[in-house]
Amino acid sequence: MSSHREAPEISKDPVADSTDLYAFVSAGNTVTLIANYIPLQLPAGGPNFYEFGDDVLYEIHVDNNGDGRADISYGFRFRTTVVNPGIFLYNTGPISSLTDPNWNRVQTYDLTVTSGGHTRTLGSNLPCPPCNIGPLSTPNYASLASAAVKNLAGGITVFAGQRADAFYVDLGAIFDLGDLRPFENLHAPLSSLKAVNGVNATDNLNVHSIAIQVPISALTVTGHPTIGVWTTASRQKARIYDADLGTYINAGPFVQVSRLGNPLVNEVLIPMGQKDLWNSLPPAGDQWFASSVTNPALAGLLNTLYPGSFTNVAGLATAGTKRTDLQAILLTGIPAGVINKTFTNYTGSVLADMLRLNTTIPPTAKPNMLGLLGGDPAGFPNGRRPGDDVVTIELRALAGLTYKYVDPTYSVDQAASAISDFNGAPALGSPPTGTFPYLGMPYCGYNYAPAS
Amino acid sequence: MPSQDETHAAEPGSSGSRRLSRRSLLQGAATAGAAGLAVTAMGATQARAATDRPAPGDGDQAKLPSGPIVLNVRDAKSGDIEVFYGTSQVQLQDKELTARIARAIG
Repeated sequence: MSSHREAPEISKDPVADSTDLYAFVSAGNTVTLIANYIPLQLPAGGPNFYEFGDDVLYEIHVDNNGDGRADISYGFRFRTTVVNPGIFLYNTGPISSLTDPNWNRVQTYDLTVTSGGHTRTLGSNLPCPPCNIGPLSTPNYASLASAAVKNLAGGITVFAGQRADAFYVDLGAIFDLGDLRPFENLHAPLSSLKAVNGVNATDNLNVHSIAIQVPISALTVTGHPTIGVWTTASRQKARIYDADLGTYINAGPFVQVSRLGNPLVNEVLIPMGQKDLWNSLPPAGDQWFASSVTNPALAGLLNTLYPGSFTNVAGLATAGTKRTDLQAILLTGIPAGVINKTFTNYTGSVLADMLRLNTTIPPTAKPNMLGLLGGDPAGFPNGRRPGDDVVTIELRALAGLTYKYVDPTYSVDQAASAISDFNGAPALGSPPTGTFPYLGMPYCGYNYAPAS
Repeated sequence: MPSQDETHAAEPGSSGSRRLSRRSLLQGAATAGAAGLAVTAMGATQARAATDRPAPGDGDQAKLPSGPIVLNVRDAKSGDIEVFYGTSQVQLQDKELTARIARAIG
């Protein structure tokens, strides 16, 4: 998965587990930043439906000078109010508005921005919508979600609440020894099987999103149009269970427990023994993990899993060739002249896993889900839009497709330009929309149909 | 935590500002039976621990923090203690305190 359950420790703490991060130029000379948390939510998961952690500090960071450190951080702190603790229900009747007394477990949040060592509040007691329960409890969910979109001073728009997971991936196959169902006939242990289409493991599942839209001018500084973006979740350092109260008590400074910049970096590239450490560090320290990116273990495994299909990329791995293409895509941004004469989202020589977005590249009316690989510079790895097929893009890059850009003499394996876990993007029940907060309406608990 | 405060404030029937807790349930049940004996014993232990230190004066009470304080004795021998309070952390070097803690748990 992009970053769902990507490291041992955070997989046990889903409330603080970031799943996906998006950053893209949006209408009105703005940038939209979306960070998803709480993976793999069953829409029918009541009576204690999913919610943000009141004891978690969620942040979206922006580096605007290429040093891998946050210059601007948007912080979200949530607060849950139980209207009537004497009942077990999430709601006692239809929830028709965000102030409806039938809603028993209300969540609000404060939004702050930290820059230059100063923190100021952008909004207080901002409302989250409830979870999408069903036609009796949340009969007009679209209006509830819409009411939770708030316009703040400075041209900022914000939303925090449940949405449909836009990320798609065939988890069941990929984590079954790197199987890709459309290429199953080429997979060594499965070669007797017929190639079939992938199965979207995140279909019909929800996440919790924090989304903020900010004027480009508020994020960039002169001479640095490309920003680096990542999200973190932090918990207070001391946490003890108070058996007397039946709850946790937290104390001490917040320390980072989860991090996400580019999709799949911690999940696929960082080795098991370093994943928790990686989650606790800022991008500025990523030089310590650079060899896991520039000599990825998966690239060497491809030819073992699919014998004869990835011989050239296996040769790079065997020779220990530094994958400077992956370094550019994931750790520095792509310098001008690599893809073409004009495109760049290079931020400098500091190796830092950040989602880099060149804010001078306008959004396109006809996005290509393969982003830059598909000739669309407004898509991943120049930022990331909800519809970008990041699994296919990164699989193809790992398989050597992008190495030709840094070494024109390299002969790309034929399979590298075809490898994917789907034959085209799967149809989503609630796909991304064209308007803020861009992710589709959360799947409804009542209508949720488990796979039979 | 904010959530606890909010829940507390909204709790109906909480005019006495006493929240339903495991301890109050146990104390309520202490009028008879083995549970009562256990709670009495626990109360006696707490009372003894409380008398081990001098009672703070009114002025000191006003300065006492209201939230939870969590201590992590990193090294009892050197007296290295981390103290967590609110969103802060301070380091203490107090061999006397760690010795007292060691005696209490020993």
